[in-house]
Amino acid sequence: MAEMDDLVKKIMAQMQQEQTSGQTDKQRTATPTASQQKTLNTSDYPLFSKHPEMIKSPSGKGLDEINLDNVMKGNVKADDLRITRETLQRQGEIAKAAGRPAIQKNFARAAELTAIPDDKILAMYGALRPYRSSKQDLEDIAQELEDEYNAPICASWFREAAKYYESRKKLKGDN
Amino acid sequence: MKRQQRFAELEKRPVHLDGFVKEWPEEGFIAMMGPNDPKPSIKIENGVVTELDGKKRDDFDLIDLYIAKYGIDLEHAEEVVKMDSVKIANMLCDPNVGRQEIVKITSACTPAKLEEIVSKLNFAEMIMAAQKMRPRRTPATQGHVTNIRDNPVQIAADAADAALRGFPEQETTTAIARYAPLNAIAITTGAQSARPGVLTQCSVEEAAELSLGMRGFTAYAETISVYGTDSVFTDGDDTPWSKGFLASCYASRGLKMRFTSGSGSEVMMGHAEGKSMLYLECRCILLTKASGVQGLQNGGVSCIGIPGSVPSGIRSVLGENLVCMMVDLECASANDQAFSHSDMRRTERMIGQFIAGTDYISSGYSTTPNYDNTFAGSNADAHDYDDYYVWERDLAVNGGLHPVEEEDIIKARNYAAKAIQAVFEDLGLPKITDEEVEAATYADTSKDMPDRDMVADMKGAQDLLDRGVTGVDVVKALYNHGFTDVAKSYLNLLQQRLAGDFLQTSAIFDENWNVISAINDSNDYKGPGTGYRLWEDTDEWERIKDLPFAVDGKNAKL
Repeated sequence: MAEMDDLVKKIMAQMQQEQTSGQTDKQRTATPTASQQKTLNTSDYPLFSKHPEMIKSPSGKGLDEINLDNVMKGNVKADDLRITRETLQRQGEIAKAAGRPAIQKNFARAAELTAIPDDKILAMYGALRPYRSSKQDLEDIAQELEDEYNAPICASWFREAAKYYESRKKLKGDN
Repeated sequence: MKRQQRFAELEKRPVHLDGFVKEWPEEGFIAMMGPNDPKPSIKIENGVVTELDGKKRDDFDLIDLYIAKYGIDLEHAEEVVKMDSVKIANMLCDPNVGRQEIVKITSACTPAKLEEIVSKLNFAEMIMAAQKMRPRRTPATQGHVTNIRDNPVQIAADAADAALRGFPEQETTTAIARYAPLNAIAITTGAQSARPGVLTQCSVEEAAELSLGMRGFTAYAETISVYGTDSVFTDGDDTPWSKGFLASCYASRGLKMRFTSGSGSEVMMGHAEGKSMLYLECRCILLTKASGVQGLQNGGVSCIGIPGSVPSGIRSVLGENLVCMMVDLECASANDQAFSHSDMRRTERMIGQFIAGTDYISSGYSTTPNYDNTFAGSNADAHDYDDYYVWERDLAVNGGLHPVEEEDIIKARNYAAKAIQAVFEDLGLPKITDEEVEAATYADTSKDMPDRDMVADMKGAQDLLDRGVTGVDVVKALYNHGFTDVAKSYLNLLQQRLAGDFLQTSAIFDENWNVISAINDSNDYKGPGTGYRLWEDTDEWERIKDLPFAVDGKNAKL
């Protein structure tokens, strides 16, 4: 647990650092929002009404741009209607402030997964199902999560699964 | 033997059609505190759990490993496991002890400890505890919207009907799996056309269900099943790690989700490992918590016949709902699948959750007559509505529903049917005729609906997936045909994914898209004068008081 906590902390710090320096990598297409660095509390909830300015679509559109007019003009695509890494991070802070640290951890994994296309994510889920993958298959996905998607928390999730699937006989061929 | 006539008469009563089994712990036919259930224990060395409920780490299965790592507050676990369970049980029904104080303790419990605490409570005490422990202050309920012919016009009309009656969450499924995208679009369009803010889901296979959500056809998911023994978990084609990952997949798309478990499933699948149903359920609950999932649908659910067959089984089912709430998870408390032929008994089944109030008293009240319920029938159905309203009115309890005028229902059903007709036309799906719209407006069941070309519908459904149609296309279709308000509602639902407020515990929306969750509507019950009281929720109480078939003295001609 402690190990995972440290990792989450490290990632969060990294993300915040990237935000301040305005750095973007290929996964993070959203425009970083100003200098919002304060950790959110339950009084910041709901974000929709209390902090609409913080909410952006993955392509950087504001909430007010998500309207019927723009949909009909073709300016709002299905991909615009997805949550971003940053928003999940904020909802995670709110969950933790409400006494639910496990939810924050789930949102931290989810934040990483925002970068991964639908088909890919479904395939990754399939690979974690029992008897689907060899240990190497799972470790390869972990590597891919790290290298291609900047998703170290999810990568360690796959590595942990690989370890336990081996000892508890859930790998391909174990059935 | 010459029959004693009273015995012969009693045997004809509906309750004799129900199944009852004497306790048989080896096969898991025991509700709680079975002879083979482990005693609570935990040992932690260097931050790693080396013993859990009497089991050494080398013998841990995947569920133990997962719970030990992610599901228990290890900082306080050793101390809490040593606490007197009767004392904790007392705190649960003592109104002077606040919810938060208890959650701190229960977050550090092992599965066996949770079972032991809850087993100290009688049924009335469980009701008192649940009243305090449910995360959301305002209770609600959820509805099933299905029909045996997967008729999309009827689904849309029934979803609108149910939305007006007060269901903030609605769930559909299919009779034929390939219909899933059509059923999903129909329930979402129908519900939004009548009452903006209703959350909708389509229960199908795990990966397919996620895919529907990603496409913007649904807003949440619930049929993410977890089990209490490793072999049943594997038979269910998942592991704790795959389910935990799936949970994160949903959150990554801004979709609400909860897990599903429920006592009896391990017995049904033949691998209860000799443990009681409540003990196995406590494992499911902690593995839900461990996954960082906000909530759980539990309480027997579709296996209710199993706990319902053994002594203290229905008490134990309320107990498992309570454990879910005790560890701070949203609780959708089942009362869904039909399990008894006796009207008295199906009322009994519901009474605990109904009186206490839960996040969703039923996680599938059938909004159609059970004839059309493709979840194999629910404990209460559309023909029970008037009885249910009278319960609420008699006891001044908010069961999550309220009466609606016939005229308003006709209007809403018609509008929903027309809206889905427009969507089908715009998306190039098989035509919905005016005759079908008219039939859906006035229908009770799918027997009242004209036949559709089901082969054409299934082809259309597949085509929809192949073409990559999304929720945005549904919004456009509605707008193109003048259903601007429905288009706006549908878009608002998609827009909420950006904010993610409804990913928090126990979240629903009101008709103005205000989120109501355990964060901004947290349960503050601390005895009389506190917590949710129906008569203080004046608008809702007026609706429930105003029973359409009550005599109005002011208009009576004496």
